[in-house]
Amino acid sequence: MTVKEITRKVLLLDLLKGLAVTFRNQNPKEIYTEQYPLQRPRVAERYRGAPRLGVNPDTNETLCISCDLCALACPEHLIVVTSERNPATRRKELTTFTYDLSRCMFCGLCEDACPTDCLELTQDFELASYSREGMIWDRQTLERGPQPTKYER
Amino acid sequence: MQSFLSYLNSKLTPGEAGNFAWATIYILLIFTGISVAVIAMNWLERKILAHMQVRLGPMRVGPHGLLQPIADALKLLIKEDIMPAEADRVVFWLAPVIVVITAFTVFIVVPFGPTHAVTDMNIGVLFMLGVSSLGVLGIIMAGWASNSHYPLMGALRSSSQMVSYEIAMGLAVVSAILMTTLTPDGVGTLSMIKIVQAQDQQQTWFLFRMFPFGFLAFFIFAVAMVAETNRAPFDLPEAESELVAGFHTEYSGFRWSLFFLAEYAAMLAVSAIAVTLWLGGWMRPFPHWLAGDGWDAFFSFFPAATFFLLALIAFFGTVRMPKHPAFRIQKAGLGAFALVLGGIGIVLLIPAVKDRIQDIYWFVAKVSVFQYAYIWYRGTFPRYRFDQLMKLGWKVMIPMGVAVLIVMAAAPAFNFVW
Repeated sequence: MTVKEITRKVLLLDLLKGLAVTFRNQNPKEIYTEQYPLQRPRVAERYRGAPRLGVNPDTNETLCISCDLCALACPEHLIVVTSERNPATRRKELTTFTYDLSRCMFCGLCEDACPTDCLELTQDFELASYSREGMIWDRQTLERGPQPTKYER
Repeated sequence: MQSFLSYLNSKLTPGEAGNFAWATIYILLIFTGISVAVIAMNWLERKILAHMQVRLGPMRVGPHGLLQPIADALKLLIKEDIMPAEADRVVFWLAPVIVVITAFTVFIVVPFGPTHAVTDMNIGVLFMLGVSSLGVLGIIMAGWASNSHYPLMGALRSSSQMVSYEIAMGLAVVSAILMTTLTPDGVGTLSMIKIVQAQDQQQTWFLFRMFPFGFLAFFIFAVAMVAETNRAPFDLPEAESELVAGFHTEYSGFRWSLFFLAEYAAMLAVSAIAVTLWLGGWMRPFPHWLAGDGWDAFFSFFPAATFFLLALIAFFGTVRMPKHPAFRIQKAGLGAFALVLGGIGIVLLIPAVKDRIQDIYWFVAKVSVFQYAYIWYRGTFPRYRFDQLMKLGWKVMIPMGVAVLIVMAAAPAFNFVW
């Protein structure tokens, strides 16, 4: 052992160095913890979360034209679209739209396939549910968006 | 009644004055004081450790988690008190009682001031060391009575560790006591109060006496005291990763909280010994170098100033609270807490109180430095391996203690004192 190493050992310089590190870390500015329900995390711009069916903001009519392209694009076949032909206008009108989130891998292919930009994967990330049935979203839920419990008084 | 009031003018501890009423009051005050200190330590430990690890720590129960220790205490009281079926029921019941009693009995001789101790024994230091090492008995009893492997292992580790570090601790204490003989009359003392008075007479803390030997003795004590109280980095008896929780694995609810209380009370007790022996006990900083009425008045404002500072920090806490309706109650609570702290500060400015609180304040301040160091060590150092711990105790601390003791004993004999 060299003299330098011996002095390090006798004067406990390594221990003091460690103590200095923990002492400096006490600065509250360094704290990285986020107080989740009150402080919302900032989600990445291209994050793909809860699916949503867009509606026309003026008329409150769905933008979906029941083309079924999203259901065809889905690798998991978890989208089921049913429609009815309106005899008056000769157009297909959406009746139900189910989206099984429990099997979804958020690949976003349905979003890409949609010709009217109706179906989109939003940045909502609170998808927890108390039951498996709750993970299968119907048309209403998809149009309204997820409504997680607000932990506020 | 007459003796009750006349005691206030005597310059004696209640034990010496034989005043039973005041002794009871002192005991109750010390008991509540230690309980409050343990609650505060619990919160501070979690907060400081969290900050050292770049976390927030308790934030939910009360403003900045201030009520967390109280919530935990309530939880522990309500919790089911489980006793293992195969346990030795009497010993299992007795173990936490012994640990708590020894941890609290020690405080009888702790000198918070020249008159602020329950009693002043002429064997004060011996009493403290003796009673506090009885705590090992309780720990072994807990480990044995649980009739389970982890507690037994923990208890054995704990006893071997405490017994081996007791020697180094004893050597360090003896060399400090030898320094009390360096007064002109050459008479040493074991009384806790007289030890501090000896430091006052020699106009220095024993930490700086015969430098570096006084400091070395203090260093040995400071290491041994961490090992004695089973705290990190010497917390092998309760090493979570190896022994679940060591000797108190089978304990739950109130009994477990008694062990917790005893651990923190023991930490306070050994820190009190260290402060008394080496850091000048209740003396304010530089009582001789910065002597005079002006400096006395200056230092007498410290207790009130501390509480005002704490109140200010709490007040800033209310200002910095998030503007969210969920925080309204917490904000009001923290504001009230700040007001209470400020109120205590104002009470401490009353001249009668100010004069009496001085020595207690400086003693508590010095002890709290040690408490912070305990938390700091826990946040910094990894746990020792058991053979390394024994090696450190027997091959480093004890020889060093013997060497310091020899120098301390021999140097005055050759009139070689500095």
